Amino acid sequence: MVLKLYGFPTSTCTLRVAVVLKEKNVPFEYHNVDLTKGEHKAPGFVVHQPFGQVPYIDDDGLILYESRAIARYIAAKYASQGTQLIPTDPTAHALFEQAASIETSNFDPFASGLAWELKFTTWFGGKTDEARAKSLHTQLAAKLDAYEVILGKQKYLAGNQVTLADLFHLPYGSVILDIGIDEFSSRPNVKRWWGDITSREAWVAVKDGIA
Amino acid sequence: MVLKLYGLTTSTKTRSVAQICKEKEIPYELITVDLRAGEQKLPPHLAIQPFGQVPVIDDDGFILYESRAIGRYLATKYANQGTPNLIPTNPKELAFFEQAASIELSNFEPHAYGVCFEKVFKLRRGLQTDEAALAKHLETLNAKLDAYEVILSKQKYLAGDYVTLADLYHLPFGMMVEGLGYDVFQRRPNVARWWNDISNRPSWSAVKNGA
Repeated sequence: MVLKLYGFPTSTCTLRVAVVLKEKNVPFEYHNVDLTKGEHKAPGFVVHQPFGQVPYIDDDGLILYESRAIARYIAAKYASQGTQLIPTDPTAHALFEQAASIETSNFDPFASGLAWELKFTTWFGGKTDEARAKSLHTQLAAKLDAYEVILGKQKYLAGNQVTLADLFHLPYGSVILDIGIDEFSSRPNVKRWWGDITSREAWVAVKDGIA
Repeated sequence: MVLKLYGLTTSTKTRSVAQICKEKEIPYELITVDLRAGEQKLPPHLAIQPFGQVPVIDDDGFILYESRAIGRYLATKYANQGTPNLIPTNPKELAFFEQAASIELSNFEPHAYGVCFEKVFKLRRGLQTDEAALAKHLETLNAKLDAYEVILSKQKYLAGDYVTLADLYHLPFGMMVEGLGYDVFQRRPNVARWWNDISNRPSWSAVKNGA
């Protein structure tokens, strides 16, 4: 049975899963969860995803949520097709886990926080907290200085092959660029890396939303 | 050569790695990085950790940072000693482990850390608690733990019926939140059961007051 992806067309975390499905050439059926109508908080949804968030997948009865967990599951299940996205060599794997953790600890809190303050909060009737946005921006810039050092020594975040860790940056990285936060272009190595991963076919196929 | 753990005995994430070493019966040597003196921002440390953070390990010349990556590396390398299955190998169990690991870092840590930041870390730097931010973090943390209550009513631990890294990673900030007097765990029966179980593991008792 074809994999079902429950999400929202422009949801960052839904796109995080979609880009990996494309990289791995895994067909899927998209099911819309209307966030604007609160469908993600309805009992029929929460029974599958107790935090009331998108996305989740139904892979022939296996329900899984958390976009990075779904991505890892797909990358492992379909290891032998499409792009290899999780290294198997123990040392390379450890460095992949380091890169994956860098994304969640040193990029995501700042990028997603900025996306919230400068874009998404207004969708839900909130107001931008300017002080918080400024603080997040400053912190993000400092983190990307460290990325600049890392990417001066290797092509991608985990080494010289692309991995899930690089792809995980795509959704929020794109949102913040879109709202005018550009801390990539002024850093040559980061700029090179960002240009590389954003031009991947799989990302180009999903970046403007999936339906 | 014995594993070198660069960090500070009281640092949350240093203790997290120390706990994994205890679970897996791995001897280690703690090498102090004086955070209060800003040693982590000096060139010798930046050379091994470009973000200027602790902990970092040196495993016979192999340098790795990001506490969750270190935990995964050690749990994998020493899979056959100490507590088994801290990362499951069965594909389905592994998928649920990755889901639980992502729950911890996305749904727990930002808010637990937020509480600790407002009530502890800011004060250490001579800054004042932002009461509104603190209230928001507590509100969100409580909402997230309501979802944990549902999950933990069906299974013993966050990934299934045996303990994994995903459970253990909650301990450092969770202990700090509880220590501040917020009974977020005890007021929920299933969460309390789980929390008391993992908090009383000998590995945590051994390091909770210092790595």
